[in-house]
Amino acid sequence: MKRVGGVIVSHGQVANELLAAAETVVGDLSHITAVSIGWHDDVELAKDEVARAVKTVSQGVGVLVMTDMFGGTPTNISAMFLKENEVEIVTGVNLPMVIKLATYSEETTLSDLAKEVEDQGKQSIHRTGALLEPQKMKKDA
Amino acid sequence: MLEGTVKVINPLGLHARAAAQLVQLAGSFNSGVILTRVDNSTTVDAKSILNVLTLAASMNTTLRLNVKGEDETQAFEAICGLFTNGFGEI
Repeated sequence: MKRVGGVIVSHGQVANELLAAAETVVGDLSHITAVSIGWHDDVELAKDEVARAVKTVSQGVGVLVMTDMFGGTPTNISAMFLKENEVEIVTGVNLPMVIKLATYSEETTLSDLAKEVEDQGKQSIHRTGALLEPQKMKKDA
Repeated sequence: MLEGTVKVINPLGLHARAAAQLVQLAGSFNSGVILTRVDNSTTVDAKSILNVLTLAASMNTTLRLNVKGEDETQAFEAICGLFTNGFGEI
């Protein structure tokens, strides 16, 4: 199966470390890469780096770019590559989102997968204290 | 279908790397593998790591294991074995 590629783009080293953490959990991830953009990096150079990363992980069925924060430079740079069926962007990357992209097993389209990754990211945020209040816990939570 | 209970006995509980081992093992069989918390009925597909992590199964949590498929006997034994040896952590 051809896999949707993944590029994690962040300020500082967050992207590299997220990828390293995901690899510790699920094993080697050759179809996902990371681009860390320094606070003072030149935007043009960063743009080239994202372009290279997208090309590297592409297997021909699209690339999902996961960025750290909507409105930030990593997102704004990545947005230049947004292209239907080729490049999708989901912001607010967290470890469960990377693991979702790493482990999806059924063939799917880039846009459906992007939606699944977005949903996974949102669903993976828990106020853990709520788990200690079983009487208040919603049944579908 | 085979059904039984397994208990988390390693001190760290069913954390990410332990869950990864479980998912990898469950995924090596054709049978469907379902885990359910006995205390609150949270039910997950044992072939999805993100699902397994939502069990939030700490040490001493008891889970019901359901295995169904052509290789259910081998799968059931292998998965029970993984819990029994505490995911190799004890």
